[in-house]
Amino acid sequence: MKKHISKQTGVLSTSDLKTASGKLIYWIFFALLVMVSIASVVPAVWTVLTSFKDTHEIYSEFSFFPKDMSINRIVTRITESWNYLQLGDSFINTIVLSIGNLIVSIVVCGFGGYVLSKLKPKGSKLIFTLVVWTMMMPGQIRMVPNYISWLHFPFAGESAYGINLLDTFWPMWLSAGADTFAVLLFKNAFDGLSSSYVEAAKIDGCTNYGVFFKIMLPLVMPVIIYQSINVLSSAWSDFFTPLLVLDRNVVVPLKIYRLQTDTSIQMNTYFMALVFASVPPFIIFAVFQKRILGGINIGGVKG
Amino acid sequence: MKINKDTDVAKRMRARNSARLRNNIDAWILMLPMVIILYLFVWRPTVLGGVWSFFNMRAYTVLDFCGLDNYIKVLSHTQFLPMLWNTVQYVLWSLIVGFLPPLFIAIMLNEIIHFKSGFRVLIYIPAVIPGIAAMLMWYFMYYPDQTGLLNMLLGKLGIKSFGWLNNPDFTILGIIIYMTWKGFAGTMLLYYASLQSVSVEVYEAALIDGAGPFKRLWHVTRPAMEGLLLLNLVRQIISVFQIMEQPLAMTGGGPNGASTSLSYQLYQYGFNSGGKGTGQAMALGVIIFLILIVFTIFYFKLNKKVEDRY
Repeated sequence: MKKHISKQTGVLSTSDLKTASGKLIYWIFFALLVMVSIASVVPAVWTVLTSFKDTHEIYSEFSFFPKDMSINRIVTRITESWNYLQLGDSFINTIVLSIGNLIVSIVVCGFGGYVLSKLKPKGSKLIFTLVVWTMMMPGQIRMVPNYISWLHFPFAGESAYGINLLDTFWPMWLSAGADTFAVLLFKNAFDGLSSSYVEAAKIDGCTNYGVFFKIMLPLVMPVIIYQSINVLSSAWSDFFTPLLVLDRNVVVPLKIYRLQTDTSIQMNTYFMALVFASVPPFIIFAVFQKRILGGINIGGVKG
Repeated sequence: MKINKDTDVAKRMRARNSARLRNNIDAWILMLPMVIILYLFVWRPTVLGGVWSFFNMRAYTVLDFCGLDNYIKVLSHTQFLPMLWNTVQYVLWSLIVGFLPPLFIAIMLNEIIHFKSGFRVLIYIPAVIPGIAAMLMWYFMYYPDQTGLLNMLLGKLGIKSFGWLNNPDFTILGIIIYMTWKGFAGTMLLYYASLQSVSVEVYEAALIDGAGPFKRLWHVTRPAMEGLLLLNLVRQIISVFQIMEQPLAMTGGGPNGASTSLSYQLYQYGFNSGGKGTGQAMALGVIIFLILIVFTIFYFKLNKKVEDRY
């Protein structure tokens, strides 16, 4: 670092960085960030490395790195574990689940937010107030009643006509639409768009539906992508509702959860399962990295 | 002439009314799926949870009105107060361990020039790992013998293995450390975005007035962040108070109930009691609801104030 660093004035300024104390603060910041990064990464790295180890290596040698890290070894460990774990079905199930969640969430919450923001029919004020209030309400109070209603859907209690939704994806799919946070996210996004677009389009003979699809939708695309990332990642990590609902048609998070009580599984295979389960979210992250790390501004929701 | 004008107005009024009606109907059709789903999955179960908490239940069948029986059973459970205290401990530890680091990291990241985007990616990795995989990963990091990462490292330093999650005094803190690790990056990005909207001119004006780095941090950065910080504080209290999945996956509420939170107990009542505790589960839900409604009202008041200020 021979030449001076120049930066936008913030807590530190270019002139600070020329003084000894300024430099010291800057490099302390840097060192702390290095430490935070290491702490962030080490558990994940350890998991990956352990999944490549031999079982006796895990139980008796207690070293951070596996002894054998050749490509060959890694490939055999991956194929061995994949064959043992039989994750294929649950991966397909999770894909089906996440796509359903995505469609329901975007369509239901998107339209809901649009109506609350732009069309405002009679009674929408009441709905909006209810949505805002339910956003912050603890979910525990409705856990058991929800479960009861899934036994005789859509009836609240015992009924001869209800459908049993257990072991189907419907409870998760429909719950994806009961996302008040997303409704408000969409409402705020539409609020940011001027109503004159709507009026101009209506004068040109556009219907309400036409206005939505041709004008509004493209303009809120960033919010749709943001919400899609959220929905997809949570489908790959939520195990609780699947734990209540699913039995044979398991999804990946539930399968992973059940491993904890599975005594027959080898440790290295267990760690490999955690790695497999993390691959899809990492793919999502890799694809949308810029958007996830950059465009968080839209995440701020106003009540 | 006059009559004609009147009918004209009437016609136009009628046309406008029918157009408005059509718009209303269109709008309601678009909104209907959301309203139905919210009714079925949020509003109705919330009300029913309140009503059924006063009823005897046989597994998932509603029997007869029983007054406060469920509440009495929940509150007279010998472990109720310890569980309430555990829940409060979760909240306190999460504020001590997890509240300020995201802010500090955001400030540091905002000032750094070297390797900035690299830091951002690395720091975000815990947030990408799916929750359940991360929980089980940490479950094994905390493993009480040297198979676990932490005891392996202690072993390398020649220190005896520690019980971690098996230690009743550490188990809650251990779960909170995991949660901080998992969640700080998301909060950090929120603060980071907010920091970037602080205008450079204000910093420069402060610089010209002779304010050093710490003065600028206190007089420029702090006022700009206060509102968001306060909101996040209340939000964190509300969300950690409802902690359930982490003890469920990492400790099973143990050792000896030392990490059992109210929500985890609710899950046990509702789904792990052979159908005997369903009523109590709903009563406990109402109790949690009543405790948190205070914070929720405060949150909305605060939210309004913060928004008015900016």
